[in-house]
Amino acid sequence: MADFLQVLATGIQTTVLITAGAFGVGVVLGLPLALLRRSRNWLLRAPVIAVVEVIRAVPPIVWLFLVYYGLSSDLAQLSTFQAAVGGLGLIAAAYMSEIYRAGIEAVPDGQWEAGRALALPNLSLYRRVVLPQALVVVIPPAATYAIALLKDSAIASVIGAQDITFHAFQETQASLQGLSVFATAGLLYILLSLPIAAVARYADRALVQRMAA
Amino acid sequence: MSLLQEWQNFLPDFLPGLWVTVKLTVSSLCVGLPLGVLLATGTTARGRAVRWVALTLVELGRGAPGLIVLYLVYYGLPQVGLTLENFLAATVALGISTGAYTSEIIRAGLNAVPRGQREAARALGLSPFKELRLVVLPQALRIVIPPLVGFAIVLYQGTSLAFAISTPELLSRAYNAASISFQYTAALTLAGVMYAVLSLTAVALLGIRNPLKRGSP
Amino acid sequence: MTTLDVPLLRLQDICVSYKGNRVVHDVSLDVAGGEVVALIGPSGAGKSSLLRSINFLETPESGTVLLSGNEVGAGQRRGRTQVSKTALAAHRRDVGMVFQSFNLFPHLSAVENVALAQVHSLGRSREEAKKRAYQELEHVGLRDHAEVSPAKCSGGQQQRIAIARALAMDPKLMLFDEPTSALDPELGLEVLGTMRRLAHEGMTMIVVTHEMHFAQDVADRIVFMADGRIVEQGPAKELMRNPQHERTIRFLKAVRDR
Ligand SMILES: Nc1ncnc2c1ncn2[C@@H]1O[C@H](COP(=O)(O)OP(=O)(O)OP(=O)(O)O)[C@@H](O)[C@H]1O
Ligand SMILES: [Mg+2]
Repeated sequence: MADFLQVLATGIQTTVLITAGAFGVGVVLGLPLALLRRSRNWLLRAPVIAVVEVIRAVPPIVWLFLVYYGLSSDLAQLSTFQAAVGGLGLIAAAYMSEIYRAGIEAVPDGQWEAGRALALPNLSLYRRVVLPQALVVVIPPAATYAIALLKDSAIASVIGAQDITFHAFQETQASLQGLSVFATAGLLYILLSLPIAAVARYADRALVQRMAA
Repeated sequence: MSLLQEWQNFLPDFLPGLWVTVKLTVSSLCVGLPLGVLLATGTTARGRAVRWVALTLVELGRGAPGLIVLYLVYYGLPQVGLTLENFLAATVALGISTGAYTSEIIRAGLNAVPRGQREAARALGLSPFKELRLVVLPQALRIVIPPLVGFAIVLYQGTSLAFAISTPELLSRAYNAASISFQYTAALTLAGVMYAVLSLTAVALLGIRNPLKRGSP
Repeated sequence: MTTLDVPLLRLQDICVSYKGNRVVHDVSLDVAGGEVVALIGPSGAGKSSLLRSINFLETPESGTVLLSGNEVGAGQRRGRTQVSKTALAAHRRDVGMVFQSFNLFPHLSAVENVALAQVHSLGRSREEAKKRAYQELEHVGLRDHAEVSPAKCSGGQQQRIAIARALAMDPKLMLFDEPTSALDPELGLEVLGTMRRLAHEGMTMIVVTHEMHFAQDVADRIVFMADGRIVEQGPAKELMRNPQHERTIRFLKAVRDR
């Protein structure tokens, strides 16, 4: 038990980095996507809707393969790590854009009206009034999504990224103790998700309190 | 060769893969939904031990990556002398994930039936079993069906994980075709389109809002 | 004692607690056949808790419930009255209940609501239950709404369907827990009208209500509760005109000033 735990532990860093990297891509790219999707201009809105829906309608593992085998060989050679962050980041951007959108829509109409009545320019209205309120609403679902992403990151092992699952697989081939190895790997993922779950719960409680106040 | 032409060449080989994908989705639901009902009743049971066991199973099933559950069943069970061939292993693994996820949906549905409904049933002298069958379940079912259909679509995509244990489903076919012809982009985009078309059609037909809310199981 | 002297309902030393917090203290009450009793009192007095203990939606912590002289359930274990499942179901068939929030079954039409328990609790045939359901809907003036979903009915109509649903079970006793509180005054009136007719037809009723006019006009007796105890009771008109207890006077004054 102790030795294969050590082997699995060598994959933790890669798992965490892939998850964090993809989540970062999602957090950054998701916001402009959300804003474009809310645009009143049909020409801006339609392509974003199409992209987001198509991204979510195709399994993550297919995107990963497309980025790694398709894009990568056609354009520039990507490392497995880069491909994993890129592929999962793309998906994260689509999901995060929906989470942002829900957050923005949760800001009451009165806030927009008050901002407009004060003649705030659109940019200030978003930056100073809407987004600060939306972000609080966004944190709990974003944390929940981060956990889903952590679990999805396991598929990076299929293209050869050396994460927890990859090492678990290698260890199984060597030791033939699949049951104990994969059970431990599963627990390791759950363990890694606990801090994110704590963030979600804390933010949720803070949100409820703020709403009640 | 144009992309469309390549797709045309691939399609006859991919369609049987799509059929395996659909079969895998349905068989996983057949295993997972009864399990979900069982776990949902377990997590709301009176007995503390039962509740605790059910909750733990749900948390483990939802907390571990789907791929890990799949490997656990396929590579792990032989350690205790239980060797399943790949389609069956994928069915069991995806069924376990389905059970864990749908138990939450079903539990929420049961809880969403107002307390007064149970009280009215009791006040009319209906037995606990009839109260469940005639009053609670019909109402819970209406609440539960849209999210369950949404989950089925997510599961349909999740079956692509079975590629990792060489189940001959859509993605495996695409990958094999690609590695023989070196037309990775063409083969994988066709697979992607085939996944997307069925998912999006289902979403559009059923008019469910946001079923693809979270990652794959 | 002849059978004529046996009250239809007798509550003896009923106590109700929630998680160790006692909210009904040793209440005893007799209700004669055909009598209409209005149960009034301030919010939190324990009126609902007492009413719900009559059909064991809340199991009394102690005390006995007798219907037509027969004790419901037998003995106590672990501090709670024990009632077998069959005895409980039989008792509940004899006691109809109407809730503040109607609690109609939303997945069934009006007539199906009224027929359901006739079939599955009383064991009547489907045709018989349906026929009776139409009669009861007719009785509350809603024959033409039989096939309609409850959600499409007004609150007053929903509550009348709920009354029909309870009546179809041929109960010996009807319990009402603030049946008009969720309704606009106008719609409340049509429900009160239905209840008034029921009283004239000789139904035994216990009604928790804040409608003082109804209590005074329709009830034979008013029971005033506060802090989980019966503080005062008497013939309806007498108690309203000439309350004795200081708590009762204060309560009635507060209600009239409202
Ligand atoms: N399910 C419950 N769990 C815990 N406490 C309860 C419950 N139901 C009622 N109580 C408490 O019991 C006390 C009596 O409540 P009850 O509902 O019987 O009063 P009531 O006279 O019907 O009041 P109201 O006029 O507001 O309906 C209250 O203090 C209430 O908070
Ligand atoms: Mg009450």
